[in-house]
Amino acid sequence: MLKIDHLTKHYKDTVALNDLSFEVKPGVVTGFLGPNGSGKSTTMRIILGLDHANKGQATINGTNYADLKAPLREVGALLDAKAVHPGRTARNHLRSLAASNQIKMSRVEEVLQFAGISSVANKKVGGYSLGMSQRLGIAAALLGDPQVLLFDEPVNGLDPEGIRWIREFFRSLANEGRTVFVSSHLMSEMAVSADQIIVIGRGKFITQGSVDDLTETAAGSVLVRSTDPQKLTTVLEGLRGVVEDVNDHAMSVGGLTSDQIGRAAFDAGVTILELTPQRASLEEVFMDLTADAVEYGGSTLESTHDE
Amino acid sequence: MSNDVTLMSTTRSEWIKFRSVRSTIMGFLFTFVLTIGLGALITVAIRGHWNQTGVADRLTFDAVSTSLAGTYFASFAVGVIGILFITSEYSSGSIRTTLAAVPNRVRLMLGKLIVLALSMIIVSEIVCFITFLMGQAIYSGVVPTASLSDGAVLRSVLLAGVYLTLLSVLGFAIGIILRQSGACISVFTSILLIIPLIIFFLPQSWQTSVSKYEPSALGRAMMSTSPPSADFGAWTALMVLVIYVIIVLGVGTTMLVRRDA
Repeated sequence: MLKIDHLTKHYKDTVALNDLSFEVKPGVVTGFLGPNGSGKSTTMRIILGLDHANKGQATINGTNYADLKAPLREVGALLDAKAVHPGRTARNHLRSLAASNQIKMSRVEEVLQFAGISSVANKKVGGYSLGMSQRLGIAAALLGDPQVLLFDEPVNGLDPEGIRWIREFFRSLANEGRTVFVSSHLMSEMAVSADQIIVIGRGKFITQGSVDDLTETAAGSVLVRSTDPQKLTTVLEGLRGVVEDVNDHAMSVGGLTSDQIGRAAFDAGVTILELTPQRASLEEVFMDLTADAVEYGGSTLESTHDE
Repeated sequence: MSNDVTLMSTTRSEWIKFRSVRSTIMGFLFTFVLTIGLGALITVAIRGHWNQTGVADRLTFDAVSTSLAGTYFASFAVGVIGILFITSEYSSGSIRTTLAAVPNRVRLMLGKLIVLALSMIIVSEIVCFITFLMGQAIYSGVVPTASLSDGAVLRSVLLAGVYLTLLSVLGFAIGIILRQSGACISVFTSILLIIPLIIFFLPQSWQTSVSKYEPSALGRAMMSTSPPSADFGAWTALMVLVIYVIIVLGVGTTMLVRRDA
């Protein structure tokens, strides 16, 4: 288990992490979601003991990373796939890592095989595509057969086939009872590949839960079709509902549950034809949650042409 | 436990890294070519002009240091080997993978130091002995030669290899501090070339007291059978250079431990 305990980190005058705490449990894929610059990579670096926190600590099964006797056997990490000496071959890169943690050299061949880069293992890494580098990074993370795995933006640069491969790979790691912690700024990716999601923004914890939890708590709307939309609109607005997109038959109602709408319609004598709760997508939830926490927000450019 | 990260396992890992990149091989190649090649050129030139050499010059002639003169040029090659051994980790970003595998940064530094110092001393000594023997063979018959059976001669040739090794470690130590290849190579070159130049422009009285502390003067003292009186003796020069290297390495290691990677 991975525990982040009141982490605070300053870089000069910017606050990268602000009293961040959460736990990552084994057996599930945990997504680590936040806009760019929200502190995901900083958190990962502190977990690995690369950066020093100003306050708080990160522990792996109760131990600081720096105190692990053979870290690669307990934690596997892929931070930046391109962070390998470009003049070294993949095989030599992995062999040097294996040697440091006294991992058998036969394991190097196993992970090369698993990642599908055996045939290019004697080529210099500098010539690798980003996708091949990602695979090498995954091979390196698996080298010590660790129980805890960290991946920082792993789908970047992968082709669709590679993305599917990596999703199944995360799933199988979690099914083996390992702790799998995957960061991403893409909510759509997390929605399909993660079981649990931790959302941060500007270095602060925002929320945590399953994909279902997160979308349920968000204010969804309800699609209503009825025999008398005008009358129903008046009634629902009287109940502080937000009625939008009214047309001949259908309308979208926010702020009220389908139960409330159904009862109100019955009391008013309006026949309901359809009552469908619209689940907010994780993407909408994410935008909602992090709206105040986007460091580099864009705005819409106004067109200078008249339509 | 036998599977833990140890200084031994770290050293093995660093050895794989050291020998698996071209810059190391090229650095050693340059060390060979510069030391042996320039040694050959210089000794051949001295032999050819021996007839015109004056009596005073003949009296102070040092058959050992002249044959090893190529080491002054090779010192840049060995410095770069030491520098790139650490700065390439920063330029590629692989330092993060390295530190994730070996979180104890002092242990990492020691592992790299062992690999660098051991391979440098072996290569440098081989190069220096070949160069010395070749130089004496070229001198033989015309110019007075030196023999390894003479203790002072043997010491000079041995210390020439030690000098190159220490310069390589100095480059490595500067690399830990500055982390950037270009900046390190500039600083290293300045130490060997610019500092003597600055000293040259100092008042004469200062020069005599300061110049002997300068690294290339220390090298000259270590390689010479009879150092000029303004220089340190060979063993003292070695000690001063070792102290320099330890200080820079100590500063670098402290920074390595404290800084974010």
